Amino acid sequence: MDTARRLGPAQIDVVAQLGVSTVLLGGIYALVAVGLTLIFGIMRVVNFAHGEFLMLGMYVAFWAYTLWNLDPYFVLFVSIPLFFGIGFLTYVLVMRGVIHASHNVQIFTTVGLSTALQNAALVLWTGDFRTVRPWHSSVVIRVLGMAFNLSQVVAFAIAVALTLALFAFMKWTHTGRVMRATAQDHDAATLMGIDTDRVYRLTFAIGIACVGAAGVLVSPLYAVYPTAGLQFVLLAYVVVVLGGLGDMLGAMLGSLIVAAVEVVGSYFFGIAWKEVFYFTLFIAVLVFRPAGLFGQRGAETLGA
Amino acid sequence: MPALAPGRWAAVAFFGVAALVPVGVRDAYLLDSVILILLWGALSAAWNVAGGYAGQVSLGHAAFFGIGAYSAALMTTRFQQSPWLGLLLGVALSIAAGGVIGYLSNRLKGPYFALSTIAFSQVLLIVASRWRGFTAGSEGIPVPFRPGFWTLGLGHVAWVYMALGVAVLYYAVLVWLETSRFGYQLAGVREDEDAAEALGIASRRSKVYAVTLSAAMTSVVGTFWAQYVGFVDPFYVFSIDLSVRFALNTIIGGIGTGLGPFLGSLLITSLETYLRATFSGMKTGFAGIYLVIYGTALILVVRFVPEGLTGLATRLGARRSRAHA
Repeated sequence: MDTARRLGPAQIDVVAQLGVSTVLLGGIYALVAVGLTLIFGIMRVVNFAHGEFLMLGMYVAFWAYTLWNLDPYFVLFVSIPLFFGIGFLTYVLVMRGVIHASHNVQIFTTVGLSTALQNAALVLWTGDFRTVRPWHSSVVIRVLGMAFNLSQVVAFAIAVALTLALFAFMKWTHTGRVMRATAQDHDAATLMGIDTDRVYRLTFAIGIACVGAAGVLVSPLYAVYPTAGLQFVLLAYVVVVLGGLGDMLGAMLGSLIVAAVEVVGSYFFGIAWKEVFYFTLFIAVLVFRPAGLFGQRGAETLGA
Repeated sequence: MPALAPGRWAAVAFFGVAALVPVGVRDAYLLDSVILILLWGALSAAWNVAGGYAGQVSLGHAAFFGIGAYSAALMTTRFQQSPWLGLLLGVALSIAAGGVIGYLSNRLKGPYFALSTIAFSQVLLIVASRWRGFTAGSEGIPVPFRPGFWTLGLGHVAWVYMALGVAVLYYAVLVWLETSRFGYQLAGVREDEDAAEALGIASRRSKVYAVTLSAAMTSVVGTFWAQYVGFVDPFYVFSIDLSVRFALNTIIGGIGTGLGPFLGSLLITSLETYLRATFSGMKTGFAGIYLVIYGTALILVVRFVPEGLTGLATRLGARRSRAHA
């Protein structure tokens, strides 16, 4: 992320570098956030354990790389079905029982899951910072005076491809339509003969598969440790609230906004204060536009 | 004998035993456990005012704890003043911040409110850990031990009674909430805001009051905790884990009850102390096993025993009295 520091002298280069860095970062954030917003949009549950699944994804990449020298991009082929299965199981074992419970019960179920997973990782793999350093993480690409890390570019490309695939799935497949119908009106969907339990199972599994993939993708770029998910999930909350909880397109735009705030804020004020900017933005949006910047219809009632 | 409910008798027994422990025991390790149980209980009781009685579930109460801890630590180290002044400053700041958060709770429901409280505590964490010139940044602040009441440099026995005083006071606040007009208003707003409004209850105002009271109560214990433990680490005092802990104790003990937070604290703090001692010699991180147990317990309790230990006791008690009749 220190790409902002390796700038060419010309001002235009700075703007171009910041712009491209924003897009690269935003693409990865989008993949983290899109699963969260999908789960919220359809199940009306904020998954407070979302970051822990990202952390598990990072560990999968770490162990695959350390034990078998497998590149994270190959691991992706295994991790996507693996995390789909983990999400499916988590829904059946943990979430199904509270899906119709009050918000408070749901909040504490996912908070409890987060605590348990985070510390299970701590017990199993200690709190040490681990790194995944495949060959591409040290390759720097220079184009038109801009510099990028190859891992970041590939992570961005795969993240965008996966996000677009999810969009296409939601828009054009029958199952996707069924899921959107459930999001719009749970009762009406049930009356139309939609098996909502199956929709929830699938939704949770897809959401977790997305964030698990994101964990594998960011593993060459960030340190791996039991609470590594926290920084991403806090970001993802900001992203989904900006975009309107439950709004997938909003999550994409929100990711770009948060990435821009982070990249530009770090460039001008130093990397230490970047979180202050997006948390301030977060609180401001929660206070003034709780339905999100792009005001998805009906979103303001979702919290009630 | 005065006609006290079984729950009140249990409270008398609980606090009575805590008061008697220092009479017979001089073991610092055991006294330390008692102090921590009482302080954690008081913190959970404070959380319970907002999360239980007013139904405003916060996951950022560590913010007020940290405000109390930092106010006292900075007051003693930077300005050479009494931590009691820091306590007052912390309460004042927490009332201001709690008022704002309480006002937010009128606009934000359920998960939105929880998210906004997390964001608030994270902003304070960043400020405390990065503003090196004033807060000493991520290194934290060692609080010097100066013996005396005014400097809050107390021995273990004195701390037991300090913590007991706060705990009993907070328990009294919860009992007051169970029996007073204000408490009934809060319960009405929590269960059905529209119906409460229709009955003429100023729902917005009562929620702001409850969150503010809860914030101030949390801040006071934050100050005591910092003075007792002697070190303020921003990544601990503002952590989400800490906020979750307040809620966890309360939920396991019984949310929205007077004794619940203290029973939860007794159970969880003892379990932590025991497991930490058992696994302390093992490889790093293994002590975290107790948090795996907590997380799992939290999931199971909200699902199967949402009324917590006190609710379970009431249920069993009711069954027994029916069997006797």
